[in-house]
Amino acid sequence: MPSQGASTSGVNNGTSTRKDSKRPKSSAFTQQELPACKPLLTPKWVITIFMLIGVVFIPIGVAALFASRNVVEIIDEYQTVCVPGRYTTNGEREQFIQDVNQDKHCNRTLTVSKLMKGPVYVYYQLDNFYQNHRRYVKSRSDKQLLDGNATDTSACKPEQYLSGDLAIVPCGLIAWSLFNDTYNISADGQQVTINKKGISWKSDREHKFGNVRPQYFPNNLPRDLNGSLIGGASLDPNTTVSKPFIVILLNEDEDLIVWMRTAALPTFRKLYGKIEQDLAAGSTLSITINNVYNTYSFGGKKKLVLSTTSWLGGKNDFLGVAYITVGSLCVFLALLFFLVHWRYPRRLGDTKYLSWNQHASAN
Amino acid sequence: MARWRSASYKARERINQRYAPHNDLLHHRTIYCNDLEKNKQFSFKGNSISTTKYNVLTFLPKGLFEQFRRVANLYFLMISILSATPVSPVNPITNAVPLVLVISVSLIKEAYEDWKRFFNDKTINSTMVDVLRDGHWRKLPWRRLVVGDIVKVHKDSFFPADLLFLASTNQDGVCYVETSNLDGETNLKIRKALERTWDYVDEERAKEFQGEIQCEQPNNSLYTFTGNLIIGKQTLPVTPNQLLLRGCSLRNTEFIVGVAVFTGHETKVMMNAMNVPSKRSTLERRLDMLILILFSILFIMCFIDSICSGIFINRKYWYLGLTSDVEDQFNPGNRFLVACLTFLTFVTLFSPIIPISLYVSIEMIKVFQVTQFINKDVKMYHKETNTPALARTSNLNEELGQVEYIFSDKTGTLTRNLMEFFKCSIGGVIYGKGVTEIEKAAARRNGTGIEEMESPAESHEKYFNFDDDRLMRGAWRNEPNPELCKEFFRCLAVCHTVLPEGDELPEKIVYQAASPDEAALVTAAKMFGFFFFRRTPTSIRVRESHVEKIGRMQDVEYEILNVLEFNSTRKRQSVICRYPNGRLVLYCKGADSVIYERLMERHNPFKDTNRDHLEYFGAAGLRTLCLAYRDLDINAYEMWNEKFVQAKSALRDREKKLDEVAELIEKDLILIGSTAIEDKLQEGVPVCIETLAKGGIKIWVLTGDKLETAINIAYACSLMNNGMKQFIINSDTKEIRDVEDRGDALETAQVIERYVAERLNESLRQAVESEQTQTGLELALVIDGRCLMYALDPELRGTLLKLSVMCKAVVCCRVSPLQKAQVTSMIKDGAKKITLSIGDGANDVSMIQAAHIGVGISGLEGMQAVMASDFAIAQFRFLTDLLLVHGRLSYLRISKVVAYFFYKNLMFTLTQFWFNLYTGFSGQRFYDDWFQSLYNVVFTALPVIIVGIFDKDVSITNSRKYPQLYKAGIENIFFRWRILIIWAISAVYQSVILFFFPIKAIEEGKNSSGRMLGLWDAGTMAFTCVVVTVNLRLFLACNFITRWHLISIFGSILAWFIFAFFYSGFRNPLDKQGNIYQVIFVIMGTWYFWYAIVLVPVASLALDFLHEGMRRWFAPYDYHIIQEEEKIKGVERDELLLVESPRQAPEQSLELTGLHGEMSKHTGYSFDSPCFDSFFASQEGVSMSQRSYDIARRASMRVSRRQSSDLGSDSPPPGHNSLI
Repeated sequence: MPSQGASTSGVNNGTSTRKDSKRPKSSAFTQQELPACKPLLTPKWVITIFMLIGVVFIPIGVAALFASRNVVEIIDEYQTVCVPGRYTTNGEREQFIQDVNQDKHCNRTLTVSKLMKGPVYVYYQLDNFYQNHRRYVKSRSDKQLLDGNATDTSACKPEQYLSGDLAIVPCGLIAWSLFNDTYNISADGQQVTINKKGISWKSDREHKFGNVRPQYFPNNLPRDLNGSLIGGASLDPNTTVSKPFIVILLNEDEDLIVWMRTAALPTFRKLYGKIEQDLAAGSTLSITINNVYNTYSFGGKKKLVLSTTSWLGGKNDFLGVAYITVGSLCVFLALLFFLVHWRYPRRLGDTKYLSWNQHASAN
Repeated sequence: MARWRSASYKARERINQRYAPHNDLLHHRTIYCNDLEKNKQFSFKGNSISTTKYNVLTFLPKGLFEQFRRVANLYFLMISILSATPVSPVNPITNAVPLVLVISVSLIKEAYEDWKRFFNDKTINSTMVDVLRDGHWRKLPWRRLVVGDIVKVHKDSFFPADLLFLASTNQDGVCYVETSNLDGETNLKIRKALERTWDYVDEERAKEFQGEIQCEQPNNSLYTFTGNLIIGKQTLPVTPNQLLLRGCSLRNTEFIVGVAVFTGHETKVMMNAMNVPSKRSTLERRLDMLILILFSILFIMCFIDSICSGIFINRKYWYLGLTSDVEDQFNPGNRFLVACLTFLTFVTLFSPIIPISLYVSIEMIKVFQVTQFINKDVKMYHKETNTPALARTSNLNEELGQVEYIFSDKTGTLTRNLMEFFKCSIGGVIYGKGVTEIEKAAARRNGTGIEEMESPAESHEKYFNFDDDRLMRGAWRNEPNPELCKEFFRCLAVCHTVLPEGDELPEKIVYQAASPDEAALVTAAKMFGFFFFRRTPTSIRVRESHVEKIGRMQDVEYEILNVLEFNSTRKRQSVICRYPNGRLVLYCKGADSVIYERLMERHNPFKDTNRDHLEYFGAAGLRTLCLAYRDLDINAYEMWNEKFVQAKSALRDREKKLDEVAELIEKDLILIGSTAIEDKLQEGVPVCIETLAKGGIKIWVLTGDKLETAINIAYACSLMNNGMKQFIINSDTKEIRDVEDRGDALETAQVIERYVAERLNESLRQAVESEQTQTGLELALVIDGRCLMYALDPELRGTLLKLSVMCKAVVCCRVSPLQKAQVTSMIKDGAKKITLSIGDGANDVSMIQAAHIGVGISGLEGMQAVMASDFAIAQFRFLTDLLLVHGRLSYLRISKVVAYFFYKNLMFTLTQFWFNLYTGFSGQRFYDDWFQSLYNVVFTALPVIIVGIFDKDVSITNSRKYPQLYKAGIENIFFRWRILIIWAISAVYQSVILFFFPIKAIEEGKNSSGRMLGLWDAGTMAFTCVVVTVNLRLFLACNFITRWHLISIFGSILAWFIFAFFYSGFRNPLDKQGNIYQVIFVIMGTWYFWYAIVLVPVASLALDFLHEGMRRWFAPYDYHIIQEEEKIKGVERDELLLVESPRQAPEQSLELTGLHGEMSKHTGYSFDSPCFDSFFASQEGVSMSQRSYDIARRASMRVSRRQSSDLGSDSPPPGHNSLI
């Protein structure tokens, strides 16, 4: 016990003397002497890094550009040609397209210039269509899409109710304005099947859209017995649906799912379907378009796009060009920097360049 | 004296107003001593104190109120409210989350600080004290003490409340009190109890004490107290002399007994607790400007977008459903309303442009800098006083990096207020081996390099720092001129006005001298073997050793016949004494100028040698006095004495007559030699001042001392040198004196004013001229307080300012505390420069508070200056570290942090702005709500704080080695508009890249399965790029990469990914719309993502990278060069980190010849007492006796005090106590 007592008192002494001294404990941290790396952007480094970026970026860019160039793409703008020539203004075309009694089918013939290896993707492209407008973007009810609950549709303004009190499923502007042109393609007289399965993202299909049965449809949503969408042409909300129609559950309606993934810019493409076969070079595609979607009021273009893909994706030169540009710019800067540095060298860490020394020498 | 009083009249008036007591005896309080029950009716406040800002209940409302007084917080509160309306494109959480986070952090900090205060209060409140309860002394905590209680306070403990002093263990009812907590004075004050109550000392008597006290209501005047003590039928007046104030402590008295009069918050010290005015740094104020600019940008962006949205909206976009019952914001029928509402939408959407977390981040950084770096810097720890540096505020760190003017007090700050006998010259021979600081500095400048010689670590006598074997221990007998040595020592021992106190032994005796110089001289005599030990009104006794022969001692009594006093006109002092053997001698000491005029023509062979020595002493910064004597003939003396007695009894112009009479006898002197006293500078002061000057800092000395002293010290600390052109504006001229003698105050004022105006204009003209003609000629201005009073008048102020900013050194002497503050404000407000005041005493408080930064010298003296200061350091030289290291780095860091915040928020918001050009100006958000809300507070918060804490351009060693780096702060190189514009350009450029690149990348892109990406995919991808870019940008911004940088930067990027994985991995309630669900996985499954994540940050940062590279190579900052030098040569390890603070300045032997190059025409002379003994003494209108050389008067004062105390009335002013 005594030894223990002695030791504790010793400890106490130690602590008390340390307590008496207010000398701050010195550590590399508090004395601001932490070990650190201090990279200096000397020309050597600037040149090296710029060079390195160039060397890495240019090949990547080239690869991307190649991939993009390998993609075969056929684009056909049809919003004007698919309306009889006598309708010259957009206003007249709009009237035409809204006339229920007019036949809006239209035939287009395209030639495949290069072999398109299957699958060939069919897109529609819209222009001047602000899917990213705030009023548009928020006008949907994700909850409803998932569970069909029709009670809370407040998010869906203004397409909330049909004729006053019947809650629409799926509600909201996005679903209401669903694109409903249809395409029928035959290659060299042979009917080509457009596979509409798997055109949407799996996560959307499986998790965002439920086994929901649409009801009190927005005017354009019901499909006729052929599976084509009714409406779109007749966007008069007072028009009642007269034709017989079928109902597809929301999570099976991939056109809707694709449409509902709103685009970022007012010009966008959306996947219409896949052609699971090669299209030989030189073959003629004849396409029957049911041109019913009204883009005439706002002067939007409609395009049909057939495209193959590469490992990178679709035809998009941007990345390749950007990489090559940035890469070459870096190489250029590296060279420029090198030249200037070579012409006007400055010795590293020479104190004569310090401002006060320069003032002194000036004086 | 009278002149001085008028000079400080204004000051005093001001101060009086401020501290005027509320002597409202109509509402006096009545206290029944020792009677709890009776006192209850008055319900006096208890003795517990609380300095906390909040309590449990008020914390939330009050704390929140404080928080919302910050504009940024209030702004975000409004934005959050706005977000809850349908106009908002974002969820309310977007703005609420950062706000709540920021405010919680601030509240937690407040709570912590308040808790500390609470804890502190608790400790104080539960200190124990003896209280008389139920007839016995009970140990009770302070908080239980009530008014009327009788308490017993023991030696060295604090008074728990304001007590009426009843009795003490000392014989005559006296106790000694230390008031350093109140006024910073360490000398003891005497308090004296009323005689009637003297014997209530012990328990038995004390419990019988019954009395009634009627006194004034609580007030904040520390030096007044009026009241009556009624015992039985007797009414006794009580005065401040019987009041023991809380905050003071009892000294040299075993214990005292007193009655509590004021308790708790009603005590005078608590009533005096002033709120230190909170200061904001200049950078922070400029930051407000920046925020304002951001607001303008916000406004412009919102304005453009809202106008465009009004134009855009059109029914033709049928898919927007604009046909019927459309809400106002999109109603094409009312485009104006659309624009207005959309404006609000955009304000909400772009709100992150205002960096909400900026203030809290800066605050955290600053607190960190303060608690971890400044307070823990070993280099600023002073071992002798065991005092580390203390930052009392964290608001001003970066201000320390921009100081251009330092205003320094002299005594106690630059000097130790310790005079040491350092060298002497006797009969043309110089003695003393010491080397002064200034000599060391000079040697260092010349590169001579004094070999550092350790002096034997002997503890030398106070006032005496002299070592020369030729004089010590009687060795002077072997010197060429021993007779003269004897005269020299006798002159030192006899010619003075010092009072010895204590035992008459060389080790024990304490000399009470009016000026420390005198004490030093008498101590020197003692050390040389002429020990002055007793003074009677007519004689001085000296114990002389070694005179007859070595080792022999004898007591000699010198009869003092006359004392011809010192005053500032005479600049000399003489004593006429009679040796026991009848020899009649006049000993005289004084300034060289006056002594040399009065020397005998012949018989002064070493006159010229001595003058050389004087100059040498002066150049070394020593204070010199010449010593001379004259043997008097008894008859001549008697004749003279008659005249003297006559003059002395004259009723008119006595002083003038005395001076005239003195002239008659002080002539034909024989020079003995001269003394050199070192006004001991604080360690390292000259070096520090030189270093700071190199850093572009101008140092002004503001002192209450006399002109000569002030100039002398300016020389000593290498502020001034002979190469400078000096402008001296001094009111002590013959012309002014003459006018004054005529006694017309108005005329005097006019004359001085004219004189000052003339001098100022003339000086300014010369200054401008010399600046044009002679480059590099440095100017110095010396001005005294009285002239300053006129110079600070509005008409002359401008001239003074112009002149003073041209000067490298400015010395203001004889200035009052208020003038110190005025001078500080002149530069602060007039020249718009950043100022720092440093001082140690109560008289510096006003100056400390007036400057941008106040620094108090802590450790030795009282607390007043420290309590008013923002930073407290133990030594003047620590300013080097405080400014050049901590200040510079803080400035660098904070400006970097602010600029970075500016950039990152601007850039982030701009991406949304670009996006909205493509959404029909609808105010659609590009990023998810949570991304946006966490952007500032999570994904980009930590790294910038780390940079703010750690970044360091050059090593600490080089920070001090190259003080010139500090100029960057003065010129504000790192936070000027040019820098911010560069950041803004970078932000615009990057935002373009960061918006267009990702969106272009996926515009027509799809993955290899042909599926297309949508709005949220683009947003998330862009956001990822933003987070990566913004975080990586910091690597370019910082000079210094520790593992903390790496951890925080990559940690933040990682945090984003982790958050994204979790957030989009599940359908969660946070994401109501389910927009983000699975998005991150979808985009990460495409090549575009990986392409973009490499391309976009590289392309964004390339411009900054190029800029940084060009900057370093073609227009390098100074720190760039030094960084490179460090890289090449390496940094010598800072030896100071390991070694304790530098040892006591080593004494070296230095040959005199080695320093002759620095010879100056300036011979320092000084001999005075500090004229501002106490700030509070002057505040009361009681002036210190300047004529304290008059021994007789001092003696009589003592008697009168005793008498007056005995009478129990009319106590002497407290200021006089300090003379004891």
